[in-house]
Amino acid sequence: MTNENDGKRGSGIIIGRRALLKTTAAGLAVLAAPAVLTGRAEAAASAAGLSSVKNAKIDWGQVKGASITIGVIPAGYFNNLDAVLPEFSKLTGINIRLEKTPPGEIRQKAVLDLSSKTGTWASHAADPMYYPLYVKNKWIEPLDTYLGNAKLTDDSWFDYNDILKSWSGSTSIDGKPYGIPYDGETTLQIYRTDVYQKLGLKPAETLEDYAKNAAKANDPSNRLWGCALRGFKGAGQNMYIYPSLFEAFGGKWFDADHHLVVNGKPALDALEWYINLLTKDAPKGVENWNWPDIADAFSQGTVASYIDANTSAAVVANPDKSKVVGKIGFARWPKGPSGRRVASIWNWSFPINAALGEKEKTATWLFIQWAASKEVQAATSYGFSGAYKRLGVNRTSVLGNDAYKTLANKIGDTFLDATMASLEHDTDVDWRPRVPEWPAIGEIMATAIQSSLVGQAKPKEALDLAQKKIAGIMKG
Amino acid sequence: MKTGKGGLFQKEENFAALLVAPALLVLILTTTFPLVYLIWNSFQNINLAMPFMNSFAGFDNYVQMMSDPNFWHSLELTAIYTISSVALQVVIGLGLALLVMQIPRGQGVFRVVAILPIVLAPVVVGLFWRTLMLAPNFGLIDFAVKALGLGAVNWLGAPTPALISVIMIHTWQWTPFAFLVFLASLASLPVDVYEAARIDRANAVKRFIHITLPLIRPALVIVMIMRSMIALSAFAAIFAATRGGPGTATEILNLYAYRTSFVELNFGYGSALAVALLVITLAVSSVLFAMRTARVR
Repeated sequence: MTNENDGKRGSGIIIGRRALLKTTAAGLAVLAAPAVLTGRAEAAASAAGLSSVKNAKIDWGQVKGASITIGVIPAGYFNNLDAVLPEFSKLTGINIRLEKTPPGEIRQKAVLDLSSKTGTWASHAADPMYYPLYVKNKWIEPLDTYLGNAKLTDDSWFDYNDILKSWSGSTSIDGKPYGIPYDGETTLQIYRTDVYQKLGLKPAETLEDYAKNAAKANDPSNRLWGCALRGFKGAGQNMYIYPSLFEAFGGKWFDADHHLVVNGKPALDALEWYINLLTKDAPKGVENWNWPDIADAFSQGTVASYIDANTSAAVVANPDKSKVVGKIGFARWPKGPSGRRVASIWNWSFPINAALGEKEKTATWLFIQWAASKEVQAATSYGFSGAYKRLGVNRTSVLGNDAYKTLANKIGDTFLDATMASLEHDTDVDWRPRVPEWPAIGEIMATAIQSSLVGQAKPKEALDLAQKKIAGIMKG
Repeated sequence: MKTGKGGLFQKEENFAALLVAPALLVLILTTTFPLVYLIWNSFQNINLAMPFMNSFAGFDNYVQMMSDPNFWHSLELTAIYTISSVALQVVIGLGLALLVMQIPRGQGVFRVVAILPIVLAPVVVGLFWRTLMLAPNFGLIDFAVKALGLGAVNWLGAPTPALISVIMIHTWQWTPFAFLVFLASLASLPVDVYEAARIDRANAVKRFIHITLPLIRPALVIVMIMRSMIALSAFAAIFAATRGGPGTATEILNLYAYRTSFVELNFGYGSALAVALLVITLAVSSVLFAMRTARVR
């Protein structure tokens, strides 16, 4: 998952033939499934897990015959949803289609659709950072009216509060929900247990230790580099990792007058730490690396540690592609000088397009409620009959399920604990500035970070220029 | 020609207009209208992130452009990119064409090989260079450079090498075009002029400067016009290879206009940047066209 690029890989795990045969997996039907190693879900849905959807005390057939199209990205976790989608049509009589658009384009397409009010996409996989923009323009529906309407939602069944707070918070504005998270991630420190053991290292507790570990592990002559972080320019790339550093160094996005400030001392310290680390102990070319490049390098055994999405485990723990399976450790983000751990978090969520007719709005809500429900979350994860099982489920109850634990422990025994601790303690809904102008701000910051990383500008100059531009934008 | 107001003449004219009308209408709708709309947008404040600010801007966007360091930076890059890639294409293309002309047989093979880069989509070219050719430690170019003992160069990760790289990519893709045009032009040159020159004991350099160059000048100018217009509006290959980065090291005007409009959602200012690019392209090509008509009688 993890933002843009390379949607073909998803958050989730592909179980190899051997692992599949070994597992007893709590008597799941997976043994009967073909162990075809593919990110696409060709197997039919396991309808068994989905029949309890009917227990919801609402009339699923209330807008029979409505037609809606949902924009998503081509990723494993949406492919699994697509595979069980016929169950939704059977249940509701709604004609529904998932339209797949590359992650680099889905935001632009959604913005053009919403702003021109064409209603092409009834809903789409939305970037949480775009909600302030959507809401400011009244392009999407507030969902409290849907959640509170007993005709449309059976809350005792749907249980909105079961959805991870750090995700549902990011799709709410001033406490009012506007989107429902479907899949997501948190970020972790991921390291090679064998390398760390050999060198006598422990996963870093502080950013300072992280840099020390990287320096010790860095051994380019043997094709092993100390670490890697996202260097590629983009609001969802380097500006996905930097904000966590910024806050860990004590940065605050807004000053007392609610002005956005990006060139204070913590901002500069964080940027210098990042540049120092990457220029000293990361592979050459990291300036252009996004998470798939990092995960590829790690799975080829050339990087000792990285900080990125927990769901990148889908790549590094894939026995078919990775050379480091069984040697992967997971730990929470290191603490910054402020004493805080701040994890970058992300989710794909579904809003309702305000340009739709009433019937289509209802149909879209039924879909969102269905897709985010416990049953469908389980049926597209551990309950999925294909080889690929998504990991980024949206609910505490599903994360706590024994079948999910079995799935997660195959990746590494520290995976689930680190993920849960990170989601519970290390997240902050406002770890990036949630303002309507985010698309421009994210881009300006991403450019500043990358130009200083490659030496095109000095960090201080780059941040001052970014501040000037941001001030110009926020002034209007 | 008759110029009277003869009934038949006028009817014929009307009829002709009627026949042309549908095509003209489609043309206006698909080319003129978007262009006029773009220019109209460039005089507005349109920012999707701040719809409450939308209003008529007059020349504000253009005034802002004059004091925007990013604009001047991207303009400078556009000039470097266009001039150097067009010059390289002409020089290498002409050199190759002259060489191939010396080969008595098998010129057809070169023609076919030359077409290959041209038919590739620029996005494919950008990605192909980014991953297979220029990637540090793994790419073919880096491999060659290291083998020559020059050490690894981080081609797309540092500002100057990245700019050189995107110029190289563009030149690689489009030199064959210049090559093919020059080859055709050279093949059509009259043999007797060269024979006369040889009898007068003019050496190869003199023959090239005084005979070949003046004779192929029309082809030379046409190649320069077409290549400049394409280079000025280059987008896909750079976008795929560097996305304008690292930092803004390869962000030519076209990419800056795209980023402003579609990433930062500032359509008003983005339109103004696009109009600026349009004006520059028109100016450059009209200068080159003037050169062509002035020199060729």
